[in-house]
Amino acid sequence: MATAPNPEAGQDQAWRKNRKLDQWIAFWSVPFFFNLFGLVFVPLSWMMPPRSPSSTTPHIVDFMHSHNLLIACVILTLAFGLAPVSNACYLMQIKRMSVSRAFRYSMMIGAITGAIVGMLFPMFCFGLGAFRPGYSPAVLTMLYDFGYLAFIGSLGCFCVMWMAFGLAILLDHNNILPKWLGYYTVWQYMTELIAAPVWIAKSGPFAWNGLMTFWFAMTLYVPWQFIVYLCIYKAIKSQPEAELDNARPEPQRAA
Amino acid sequence: MTSLIRNPLTIVWALLTTVTIASSLIALDGGAAHQINTTVTTAVLLIAGVKAQLVIWHFMEVRRAPVWLKATTSGWVVGLFALLLGFYFAGL
Amino acid sequence: MTDVAEDSATGVDQSDRAAGARGHVPGDPSMWFFVIGDLLIFGVYFVVYMYFRVQNHELFLHSQARLNLDIGAINTVMLLSSSLFVALGTAAARAGNSADALRRFWVALAFGAAFPLLKMCEWIPEISAALTPGTNLFFMYYYVMTGMHLCHVLLGLIIMCFVIRNLKTSQQPKISFVETGATYWHMVDVLWLVLFALLYLMR
Repeated sequence: MATAPNPEAGQDQAWRKNRKLDQWIAFWSVPFFFNLFGLVFVPLSWMMPPRSPSSTTPHIVDFMHSHNLLIACVILTLAFGLAPVSNACYLMQIKRMSVSRAFRYSMMIGAITGAIVGMLFPMFCFGLGAFRPGYSPAVLTMLYDFGYLAFIGSLGCFCVMWMAFGLAILLDHNNILPKWLGYYTVWQYMTELIAAPVWIAKSGPFAWNGLMTFWFAMTLYVPWQFIVYLCIYKAIKSQPEAELDNARPEPQRAA
Repeated sequence: MTSLIRNPLTIVWALLTTVTIASSLIALDGGAAHQINTTVTTAVLLIAGVKAQLVIWHFMEVRRAPVWLKATTSGWVVGLFALLLGFYFAGL
Repeated sequence: MTDVAEDSATGVDQSDRAAGARGHVPGDPSMWFFVIGDLLIFGVYFVVYMYFRVQNHELFLHSQARLNLDIGAINTVMLLSSSLFVALGTAAARAGNSADALRRFWVALAFGAAFPLLKMCEWIPEISAALTPGTNLFFMYYYVMTGMHLCHVLLGLIIMCFVIRNLKTSQQPKISFVETGATYWHMVDVLWLVLFALLYLMR
């Protein structure tokens, strides 16, 4: 005798049984993480837009000892672990592409080194200023330079990441992600490359807060970051369940 | 061989090369003193614009492309050189 | 028969006249997306260069005098010639004449490969003379923009090699692929034409 199924329990079961749950969790962590990141870097600590590389020492010392920087570093320390989860979204899609595994590995290593150098190092540098009062102004200035250069100068890692991703999309026969996104990702790579002069210029359009290396790069980067995740959303949604890694084989019909 | 020489594409190339050499000479003679020279700059930039348009129109085959592509590329040439000349003269 | 062949060699196919009304987008449309976007991005760099130039006329003029205009001009002609042979090669490929197309693309590749070599002949003496990206704003622009462009050239040469391989090894070469590669290469040429005027020629 069949009992009427409880609709609420059915719904509960439905989302937990969703085969793509892992991907959706990873995906939805992204807006959370990025918003947190944005909050930390902009209104809280005013690290972004980048401060001038030619700031005077008293300004730098004030900044490193500021209360807001302390809060920003606390949040960053707690939330940093979500970076790999966001990156997992890219890797899940590139895995479905027909291209060589070398692209996925390159992307993975690029993402790892990028996160370490581009996020962890600045966190240490600014964290040292915030959590450990008592360093001399000269040391604080060095940490300030180190932090910003690591944040913006870590372009090499991201170059590898985006070049691998862009090329993979362009060469992919399965058309997981649209070709125009591949080309847009190549532009991402180009803007990372244009950031190379930040190591040399301390002012002007090629400094780390410059028109060419930062502001224009941002006008290309911000839309790209939104668009890429939109495309990934569509890709996750449209992936046939049978293709999933955790797809169960079709049950055998009783004779 | 003669068909290659008479080919419209080759004629365009000959024009482009001639004009390249001409503008180099303009810059060498007229602008040799390496001072601000509005004549040289205007000439050189306008020539560059014409060259770009020729390459886009003939080599990239935009002359046989749909209207939207013609408009976009021509718009880029006109817009870019207008801005370049505009900023140049505005900053003098 | 020869009339059609000659007609095709001049790039004016019978079918093209019919298609003329609709308009034909050569190659993969997504490559055009890239080309237009790249032209716009470089366009921004060009205009920003002009903006900073007019604020630093003296500096830019004196620095410009150190550039090797001869090599710049020769490089321009190299790229133009390379583009010519790419265009001729594309027309030949469309006419079904793979042998001609292959020959023309080899010539195009030779002209194109001359560019990076000549560029080294330009850069190495300059760097030896202590003219580096860090010297001043002009030289930063010079190295960054010609450097970005050089990356584009190298990528274009790689793409051309793939086109040559396609023409050589397959019975039915993919015309769309040839056109796509050609479109990219011509864009590289157009960018250089502007760079040459902005960096070497203008006063």
